[in-house]
Amino acid sequence: MGVAYPLMEAEKGGTEVAIVDRARETPAQKKARFERDALQFTGQLYGAALRFTKDPQDAEDLVQDTYARAFVSFHQFEPGTNLKAWLYRILGTTFINSYRKDQRRPQLSDGELEDWQIYEASSHTSDQGRSAEEVALDTIADVDVKAALAAMPDEFRMAVYLADVEGFSYKEIAEIVGVPAGTVMSRLHRGRKLLRESLSEYAKDRGFNRGDNNV
Amino acid sequence: MYELARITCEEVIPSVILFIDHELPDEAQYIVFEIHFQQCPPCCQVMEHERTSIELMQNRLRSSCNEEVPPGLHQRIREQTQRLSEESQEQFISQRTVTEISVPGFASIQITQEFTQHIRHDF
Repeated sequence: MGVAYPLMEAEKGGTEVAIVDRARETPAQKKARFERDALQFTGQLYGAALRFTKDPQDAEDLVQDTYARAFVSFHQFEPGTNLKAWLYRILGTTFINSYRKDQRRPQLSDGELEDWQIYEASSHTSDQGRSAEEVALDTIADVDVKAALAAMPDEFRMAVYLADVEGFSYKEIAEIVGVPAGTVMSRLHRGRKLLRESLSEYAKDRGFNRGDNNV
Repeated sequence: MYELARITCEEVIPSVILFIDHELPDEAQYIVFEIHFQQCPPCCQVMEHERTSIELMQNRLRSSCNEEVPPGLHQRIREQTQRLSEESQEQFISQRTVTEISVPGFASIQITQEFTQHIRHDF
């Protein structure tokens, strides 16, 4: 398919220091190095794949596919840099190119670029109690949290998942999903807002919203 | 010592998220923001409210999205890697050339060159 995975900015500066002479490495050595270094991320990649595809079988296929591509391109990975980010980038690209179900959906408008700036921390007089928020989140079942995530558009769901579950930086996410960092910022901000609204709906349905405890 | 620029509430509020996400463009800005929050309780309250709310959401998401890896997935990936490795082994070429240069009256020189080449195919 002609997609190469050379080193990206955000993947530099990993902590692991290894001296590997990739030019002289035999296939057996390469395989051993791959198994030692890359396979430890299977669980994390599967978690991400499941949120991206929303289907357990697709998620397994996506992870397997990701590992096949990663192995074949492993000579492009520079040892000592961020392997996890590199694997996520293959996962992200593979998902977007081959697994997305709503590929024909129109792309998000450019308006999203400025949206994050219109942050409506509208006033200095925010009166929402955080304890109420905490209580509400605790009452929402895991299955509802996953459903709320699944209901979000792919772009927002991926940004929120990669930032808030995986802890990737905007720059890393930008490379994983192939958009500028400013777009990631906007998607993340809107995604969080959407998720917050949708979870507060779940909480309301269960009658726990704002102390209105009348189940 | 150099004097840190002061910023206004109007400049702080749109970038609160960047402050919380540790995405401000440079380290000095964190100090500028911290100073502003110390001096401006309303902005500080907005930031803390937002930060708490993001952290609560993150914790909730992490606990919900903790998935078990399906049995057999590890094994299937290992088998797949083995298969791909065998395929690439067939395409692994080692080549050695030996060049001998001898000039009458001088000791001969032998140059050995070794080439190891992978035939690679990228996805």
